[in-house]
Amino acid sequence: MIKLIFPIRCFTCGKPIGHLWEEFKSRVEKGENPGIVLDELGVKRYCCRRMFLSHVDIAYDVIKVSRKS
Amino acid sequence: MELIVLNKRKDFIELYLSNVPLYIINSIRRIVISEVPSMAISTVIFTLNRSMFYDEYIAHRLGLVPLTSEPALSKYKPPEECSESEEASLFPPDCFVKLDLDASNNGEGLLTIYSKDLKSSDPEVKPVYDDIPILILGGGHKVKLEAYARLGRGREHYKWSPASAAVIKYIPEVFIDRSRCLPECRKCIEVCPRNVFKATDSGVEVSEAAIINCNLCHLCEKVCPSEAVMLKTRENEYILRIESTGSLSPKRILLESIKILEGKVSELSRKLEVQGVLK
Repeated sequence: MIKLIFPIRCFTCGKPIGHLWEEFKSRVEKGENPGIVLDELGVKRYCCRRMFLSHVDIAYDVIKVSRKS
Repeated sequence: MELIVLNKRKDFIELYLSNVPLYIINSIRRIVISEVPSMAISTVIFTLNRSMFYDEYIAHRLGLVPLTSEPALSKYKPPEECSESEEASLFPPDCFVKLDLDASNNGEGLLTIYSKDLKSSDPEVKPVYDDIPILILGGGHKVKLEAYARLGRGREHYKWSPASAAVIKYIPEVFIDRSRCLPECRKCIEVCPRNVFKATDSGVEVSEAAIINCNLCHLCEKVCPSEAVMLKTRENEYILRIESTGSLSPKRILLESIKILEGKVSELSRKLEVQGVLK
């Protein structure tokens, strides 16, 4: 499954997680421990946690080669 | 019957139930997942899509956005009465809420479109979370679409289910046979992932506060060399957990599920009466 942008819901359980991604990303980029950030965001189950930990933002690379207008 | 609210948050409720048969709690749990209606986008009409995403990809993402549905339950027609008009591409206002998205990136950089950019025709039906990224637009990209949301049920598609988790948990009980327990053995303490056991001078004891965290993995039983540990579950005592997606409050989900269950049972008894079975 190609995830261009971060999914809105967890694939397995359906919990809405899309709104948490940008906070997670910015906090991890600042050097925080991803596991602790997920705990604080209230992402408890491992199905939802893997959505964050395994995601790569491909959209930002694909958009560079996409057609202009 | 005994009911204790163990835990209650904005999107989560945990109930302790005793002297209620499992099948009653399970019917409520299944109705929470598949029968309680909520709002979600079901049709998307594109007038312009000059972004890097396919129409289907955007429509699928829009469908998964949870919408606030608490007042909508009484305001809009039930799902069964709306699906026919949807197939005919008619969107009557007593069934459907229209959400508009009109976005363009005139600059050079990247622009992220969030769920708050959806303009709803009904202020009581709007995305629960404002910052769900829906699209990313590059320089010169444009999207214009209208989306129609209606009430639906989880059995049709999971996006209409108001609960992202509805779980029944058994209540564990750990018995330690004192005559067999070896005083120096600490294996069950080491192996337990939820720290249910604690060490004492005479051997091992079960911590009363932590026993509720037990996930019934039976590792303590397997690892015990003298078979002194026994893990059982209590009869007729359960924990019901409901985690809402935000479209309905957990309290409303429970009340609606009970109402639907009641309706189904009374319809069955009415049908039996009509057929003369009860005479």
